[in-house]
Amino acid sequence: MKSVIGELSALLKSRKISSVELTKKYISEIEKKNGNLNAYVHLTFDEALKNAENADKLIKEGKGTPLTGIPMTLKDNICTDGILTTCCSKILEGHRPCYDATVWKRLKQCGAVLLGKTNMDEFAMGSASETSCYGAPKNPVDVMRVAGGSSGGGAAAVKAGLAAYALGSDTGGSVRQPAAFCGTVGFKPTYGAISRYGLIAYASSFDQIGILSAGVEDAAEIYNAVCGADEYDMTCCPRNMPEIKPEVDVKGLKIGIAEEFYKGLDSEIRAAVDRAVAVYEKAGAEIMLVKLPSLEYVLPVYYILACAEASSNLGRYDGIRYGSRAENYSGVDEMITITRSQGFGKEVQKRIMLGTYVLSGGYSDAYYKKARVLREHIKAEFNSVFGLCDVLLAPTVPQTAFPLGYSGGNPIETYLSDICTVPANIAGLPAVSVPCGVDGKGLPIGLQIIGDRFNESAVLSAALFAEKSGICDIDGGVL
Amino acid sequence: MKYEMNCGLETHVELATETKIFCSCTTRFGGAPNTHCCPICTGQPGVLPFLNKKATEFAVRAGLAVGCKVNTVTHMDRKNYCYPDLPKAYQISQLDKPLSYGGFIELDSGKKIGITRIHIEEDAGKLVHERGNTFVDYNRGGVPLIEIVSEPDISSAAEAREYAEKLQLIMRYIGVSDCKMQEGSMRCDVNVSLCPAGSGKLGVRTEIKNMNSLSFMEKAIEYECERQAEILDEGGVIEQATLRFDEHTGETYVMRTKEDAQDYRYFPEPDILTVIIPEETVERIKSELPELPFDKMRRYTDELGINAKNARLMCRYKNLCLWFESALSYGASVKHSVNLITGVIFSFLSTEENKEKFDLNLTAAEFAKLVKYLDEGKITVSVAQSALLQMLQSGKCVNEFITEDVLLGTSDGELEKICQDAIAANPQAVADYVGGKEKAIFALYGFIKRATQGKADMNKVNNILSELLNK
Amino acid sequence: MMGISEKEFAMLARLARLEFDGERKQEFMSEFEEIINFANAVNNAVAGDTESIKDTGGDNVMFEELREDTVKESLPNEKITSGVTPVNGYFTVKRVVK
Repeated sequence: MKSVIGELSALLKSRKISSVELTKKYISEIEKKNGNLNAYVHLTFDEALKNAENADKLIKEGKGTPLTGIPMTLKDNICTDGILTTCCSKILEGHRPCYDATVWKRLKQCGAVLLGKTNMDEFAMGSASETSCYGAPKNPVDVMRVAGGSSGGGAAAVKAGLAAYALGSDTGGSVRQPAAFCGTVGFKPTYGAISRYGLIAYASSFDQIGILSAGVEDAAEIYNAVCGADEYDMTCCPRNMPEIKPEVDVKGLKIGIAEEFYKGLDSEIRAAVDRAVAVYEKAGAEIMLVKLPSLEYVLPVYYILACAEASSNLGRYDGIRYGSRAENYSGVDEMITITRSQGFGKEVQKRIMLGTYVLSGGYSDAYYKKARVLREHIKAEFNSVFGLCDVLLAPTVPQTAFPLGYSGGNPIETYLSDICTVPANIAGLPAVSVPCGVDGKGLPIGLQIIGDRFNESAVLSAALFAEKSGICDIDGGVL
Repeated sequence: MKYEMNCGLETHVELATETKIFCSCTTRFGGAPNTHCCPICTGQPGVLPFLNKKATEFAVRAGLAVGCKVNTVTHMDRKNYCYPDLPKAYQISQLDKPLSYGGFIELDSGKKIGITRIHIEEDAGKLVHERGNTFVDYNRGGVPLIEIVSEPDISSAAEAREYAEKLQLIMRYIGVSDCKMQEGSMRCDVNVSLCPAGSGKLGVRTEIKNMNSLSFMEKAIEYECERQAEILDEGGVIEQATLRFDEHTGETYVMRTKEDAQDYRYFPEPDILTVIIPEETVERIKSELPELPFDKMRRYTDELGINAKNARLMCRYKNLCLWFESALSYGASVKHSVNLITGVIFSFLSTEENKEKFDLNLTAAEFAKLVKYLDEGKITVSVAQSALLQMLQSGKCVNEFITEDVLLGTSDGELEKICQDAIAANPQAVADYVGGKEKAIFALYGFIKRATQGKADMNKVNNILSELLNK
Repeated sequence: MMGISEKEFAMLARLARLEFDGERKQEFMSEFEEIINFANAVNNAVAGDTESIKDTGGDNVMFEELREDTVKESLPNEKITSGVTPVNGYFTVKRVVK
């Protein structure tokens, strides 16, 4: 795939097509394919056409930006004023937020066109979008397989051409992993680079809004439009954020390879990543081996801390102010307990229980506090690694898209598939997944590029090289 | 008594900021239900807190005013518990890095009550239960609070009251809170434990929650102290518990015991970064602290010569003191100012609330003009008092009431002349007086009162007459 | 470490405001045990003191960057309560007899 925004934007600007016409084309594609793919869970075509009319006006007045009039989608956990936002959970059935998320506010100002809200794991907890209360989205490459998770719907929509781009969220790999499974670009910026205001929280210190797009230049364009300080998010960095302009040149780029990312890797994926590394080297990048021994602990650290935060973040769903409410109860206390037990799915309940456990009086020292210490170790290791190299290259996922229904079977094994993506969330680093070939079944393989905090420029430049050098070109079979 | 009581107070004080602690909604008291609310303070999915700078500054100011040290690197924590008045099911508070710690309040006896810590947190909403239905209003939700935790240094109900009053006074002085207990902007939890006298060991404590009046607090402490003493007398043990005080029966009741104590699962609030307060900021806040009530009281007695009773009375009201000090700067005398304030003005501002507000339509400058007439002997005290009352009631200036007809026979020379006239006009009375009939002098008084239309300072008249008649 | 006892499980469920009936509880408890064993890697990895957790990579905020105390308009009551059926502007939990 390659970037589409530039091309579409040029067509709109030259008035060869109007945003309304373009939007209608996407709508008709969605009507044709979504029934099968289940990428969208809420369609907002009326809103989209209104957005498109407004965009056409902006373009006519010469006030357009590259994103004006481009049809796109948001993950179902990004709040849109008056428009369904349910986290694909029964507990938020029918929930229409009373405010806009900062990212949507910014995109709306640019004249973005919202086609709908895309499918996801319930509260973003999962790796296959199969915990969605609306059923799993399917992988456009092979509809018998999952689109990945938790932002599976967004990746499927972008891959199938049902949206020009999608915003998702990435707490442990939830943008990069579905991007890898579906063969799109999935970009998770530095923690704090994009406001989280209006992103319904799963694990606050890991959650980051990310971008699913056809190409790397698209990702940079969208990132530039939504990043930067926000008066509603203290954790969003007030620092100056220069516009990112990815460069293709990787000459002299120092690329670190950490063997810890390659443990237990499927051999086809190993081969694809090795081939990609060779292309970088040939183009003048300097390849070096680095060590990240603490990666051994990233998964338990992640599950302990993320579940701890989740157990607290999800306490608010009590049926009093929004969302669904139990029908039969006696008294407020019972109403709350029944509402939660009926409204949350199994995976969410499991993580709430685990989070409650690791924070509770008797166990906080053994789990929560130790995990915090280890998180600092891991951050420190990344810090020293980025003293040596500019970016790390690694696989995005140790396997390709699994068959539908597989992830329900073995929870620990499913957790383990997050091994390569979770480190960037633990340390708050920018990371992108770009396609790097296919396996024997023709399923996309993801190449992950991880950079130092706020060095999105290096990450996206290395990604753009992958795209331009043909590493990404899964259809061409160049490699 | 064979037991000693150790009592500590946790005092919650609502900060007088314009906006809530994590959002820009107003903190104004009252309002229709759920009208001072936004997505943030009702805990809508996806919202984030943004810490209020003023609330942080007020908490630091409060700490500095009671001699605390400031944690210049501080963070917030989540205290998790589920209750319908708490929209996020956690309260953002501070666990291990309170904004300030280690201060004290000095009682009149000179005893110091230690202040362990002062931290900031958010208030909860209001629940109304009615016939099994529950109604929730989040207007108060998210109003900034400080919790001031004392050491268990308090050893009587009276000391607890004095500590709370002094704390209230200081917080009002420094402008961080109006500390109105009846409106809930100040409320106290009280820990009480007994130990055998002289043992120096802390006993098992009980906590009485949410006292919203100082006299009820005193009663509750006294009751709880007796209750515990009775149990200990009978050889029983005190069970650690949280209690509620019933204002009607005057007794405490168990709300929950140690077994069902909450597990708050505290952890650092990930949505709020570590806050750095530079030393210069702490210094700036310190330098902006006003004169504190007890320093002011000392200055009033030692430097201005005001008696202790009046000094204490006046220093309870900061606005009054500022107004009084301003009148002094316009040249009013201390003595007459204090007398008029504690007499006329205090009875005019009859309620505690009015005295606290001290919202007069009389400027200190105008008051000073009146006082100066008195200082110069141009009017009598009673004229000054009635003029002041009329000024307070009408808002008119001093000249409206101190007209020619109330001004004293102006100069002493004139008064002497009138006295001489009186002697000349009443030879018989003078003769009787000199002959020993003291009452005869009333004839002279009558003449002088008529001649001065009753405005003569009779003390002066007496002095002049006795001088003239003794010649 | 072993899994958790029924009593502990009940305590956690109470804190989490969740309830599990018999069959689901057994299923949950066994999965839970598996996950806790997985989490034990952390418990075993760090010896001793966890009191002084230093945030190395985290960002700080300076006092001056905190929010100014300026009132902004609140949302109208209808908007705040739009997700429920309010009574006189209140969020309400009506009594329901089972």
